[in-house]
Amino acid sequence: MLPIDAAAHSSRWRRRHPVDKAVLGLGLTVLAISLPPWPGAALVLVTALTVLLGPAGVPGRKLWRAYRVPLGFCVTGAVTLLVQVGGPEDFVSYADDGAVRAGELLLRTSAASLGVLLFAFTTPMSDLLPRLVKAGVPAAVVDVALVTYRMSFLLLDSMRRVREAQAARLGHTTRAASWRSLGGLGATAFVRAFDRASRLQAGLAGRGYDGTLRVLVPEARVSVRFTVASCALLLTLVALTLVLEGPLS
Amino acid sequence: MSPVSQETGQGTSTIHEVLERVCCAMHIAEGFLPPAHAVAWGVASAPFVVHGVRSLTREVKEHPESTLLLGASGAFTFVLSALKLPSVTGSCSHPTGTGLGAILFRPPIMAVLGTITLLFQALLLAHGGLTTLGANVFSMAVVGPWAGYAVYKLLRRYDVPLMVAVFCGAFVADLSTYCVTSVQLALAFPDPGSGILGALGKFGSIFAVTQIPLAVSEGLLTVLVMRLLVQSSKGELTRLGVLLSGGGRARNKSTEAVAR
Repeated sequence: MLPIDAAAHSSRWRRRHPVDKAVLGLGLTVLAISLPPWPGAALVLVTALTVLLGPAGVPGRKLWRAYRVPLGFCVTGAVTLLVQVGGPEDFVSYADDGAVRAGELLLRTSAASLGVLLFAFTTPMSDLLPRLVKAGVPAAVVDVALVTYRMSFLLLDSMRRVREAQAARLGHTTRAASWRSLGGLGATAFVRAFDRASRLQAGLAGRGYDGTLRVLVPEARVSVRFTVASCALLLTLVALTLVLEGPLS
Repeated sequence: MSPVSQETGQGTSTIHEVLERVCCAMHIAEGFLPPAHAVAWGVASAPFVVHGVRSLTREVKEHPESTLLLGASGAFTFVLSALKLPSVTGSCSHPTGTGLGAILFRPPIMAVLGTITLLFQALLLAHGGLTTLGANVFSMAVVGPWAGYAVYKLLRRYDVPLMVAVFCGAFVADLSTYCVTSVQLALAFPDPGSGILGALGKFGSIFAVTQIPLAVSEGLLTVLVMRLLVQSSKGELTRLGVLLSGGGRARNKSTEAVAR
């Protein structure tokens, strides 16, 4: 299992309906990109961080490990805003409002990422995917996504073992050997994926497979109280932004 | 499976360490694009994804067993992007897998599989995002596969050897993904002095350092994988139409590859 999914399965909010968590987490993300970065995104960032580390109970270390991935892209992208090309003096020069734009971008991206991470750290994929049919996604696509999801972990595990075996046989000692091992790893992934699919198909055919994959989804109800509280929090953030925007900018 | 699922320490962290660098350079992060751009790129990629969904649904209706093969293809695409690729500059990165995916499964199917993979990467690995899903789908699941597949088919039509066509297809797929992402970023953040063109130069040059060597590496890896697949999985490749795409000549070439 991947760390975010493993954390979602053992989350305090695991038994809550995905709609509850989507209203809060994705609502924060939408606010982060639609409100002015200062003070809107900053308020969203603080709120998301408080909810993640407080009521949702996400461990800080796991959150940082997940959050630093998009941060790398954001910093690289923000650096380009610091300079301008084709100015009157030099071809490349420092942009006057570059630091402000870069700061706003980092604020907005950080807040939006934390909103999605709130949803991801509390909602396992296995709870979300089967419910997408009710949201209008064709059942065939959801079935393919379910098989992809379940098979990915097995394949990743296989790949780790193959890599270890290749390393033990000095498969990564030289550049040529590394390339050969990598090619073998990619081809093995293909062969194992298709082999597993054909064995799964044989097993399902023996159980009367009719084209639909029926899976048990843990029962959960949309909590009106939680959803109303989430909406109230989001509205408070909007109101606070509108009130503070003038004095703080 | 149990050691990995139970220990969130060693097992998962090893996988995570491998995955956390999954081509993050080309996934536009959550919240990076302004709302209007995010919606516009979503609208632009929607027809391709809908087209792919319709062909996938038709395929599954006609052959219910295809669900499992398509799921396996999706898992393969997801895992392929997790391979650690030694770049020719000495650094390490990860392939996009769009070129190989398009050659094996065709671009319409790749639009759907790519969207599923990008959704998983956004929610399971924090790579990319939900608000930027449309933009990432457009570059990685639409333009990359179509450009790579077009080059591959064109070269095969002119009887270029299979492996040369595969290299060029994978190279162009990777490079076009990088170019489209640079355009997306330039449109969102035009340069104050020179506008969109200046911004395109900035974003293009900052990502070119990693992406051009990576495109060469991905082309080489795709050739290695395809050579092994021609030897070991001739049946599957024939079923997918890869070995029959160039008629009899393709079969001769594949026989040569097996003999080698």
